[in-house]
Amino acid sequence: MRLQLVLIGVLAVCFGNADEDHGPAWLLASKTLHNQFVVEGKELVVEYIIFNVGESAATNVVLTEESFHPEDFELVRGMTKTKWDRIAPGANVSHTIILRPRVYGFFNMTAADVSYLSSEDASEPVHSYTSAPGEGGIMRYRDFDRKFSPHILDWAAFGMMTVPSLCIPFMLWFRSKSKYETIAQQSRKTN
Amino acid sequence: MVGKKLTKQEELLLQDFSRNVTTKSSALFYGNALIVSAIPLWLFWRIHQMDPYQSALVWAAMTIVSTYLVAFAYRNTKFILKHKVAQRREEAVNREVMKSLGDDKKMSRKEKDERALWKKNEVADYEATTFAIFYNNAFYLVLAIILSFYILKTTTPTMYPLRLNV
Repeated sequence: MRLQLVLIGVLAVCFGNADEDHGPAWLLASKTLHNQFVVEGKELVVEYIIFNVGESAATNVVLTEESFHPEDFELVRGMTKTKWDRIAPGANVSHTIILRPRVYGFFNMTAADVSYLSSEDASEPVHSYTSAPGEGGIMRYRDFDRKFSPHILDWAAFGMMTVPSLCIPFMLWFRSKSKYETIAQQSRKTN
Repeated sequence: MVGKKLTKQEELLLQDFSRNVTTKSSALFYGNALIVSAIPLWLFWRIHQMDPYQSALVWAAMTIVSTYLVAFAYRNTKFILKHKVAQRREEAVNREVMKSLGDDKKMSRKEKDERALWKKNEVADYEATTFAIFYNNAFYLVLAIILSFYILKTTTPTMYPLRLNV
């Protein structure tokens, strides 16, 4: 019994001391596009998720996005530079921005920059990067519209335009045909 | 024989077996052909998103070619249909003409027959013309839609007016 109590006491000290000796914070960040198609002039949603897979809280976490140049992309909503005071170990945070491409063509979507302090008493920030979606194409609006738009009004207008070309000749023919078929039927009946 | 004047019957027969159309019919054919050839341009502009300013020359050239070809189709279809319609309407037209001229005793039998023949030709001409226009318009528009939206779907829109007229 006495031996067991001593053993429990030793184990408690070991684990108690272990709490004070955590590893540093370690952030993994992803950058993803939510759009199936990136189209000129249409909103593009970019989501950033930062996971703290380390053992300590990460502090002064700054996410900086510089790959979407204002000449090529209009920022609709969100901020390209965001800060979190603290991300607890095992926790994650997300951030979303909405952009609108001004141009079309091929575009290389590189990673955003993440900097943080890996522990509460760290002085030098750790610099990291998010994942990069890579090179993709920004579709021209005209091509997207041609492929996907239902064009209901345009088809309705087309239908209206074809009605005179089809209905007028048909009605003229049908009227004459009906008239003479009626006469022919009547003559067959009298005969 | 030279300089002999043709009878009405002979004139009608010549007209019957000729593919030539009157000036009025020709104007009607070309007018309708132009309208129906221009209609698909709306689709090229609004749905295929072709730029009208850049494509104006191609569109104009292809519309002219298409107008000629559609008018040619009208003429041929009318020629084929006219004989069939004339055979079908003969009885009814004769009855109509005899009914209207039956009491006219000043007119001889021969004149009445000529009048009936002329009327039959007129009715056949009218029905053949209207049906030829209707049939060819419907065929052209359906072909335009099928070619540009299904068969030629993967080609660039610039090719559509060119291939439509082939």
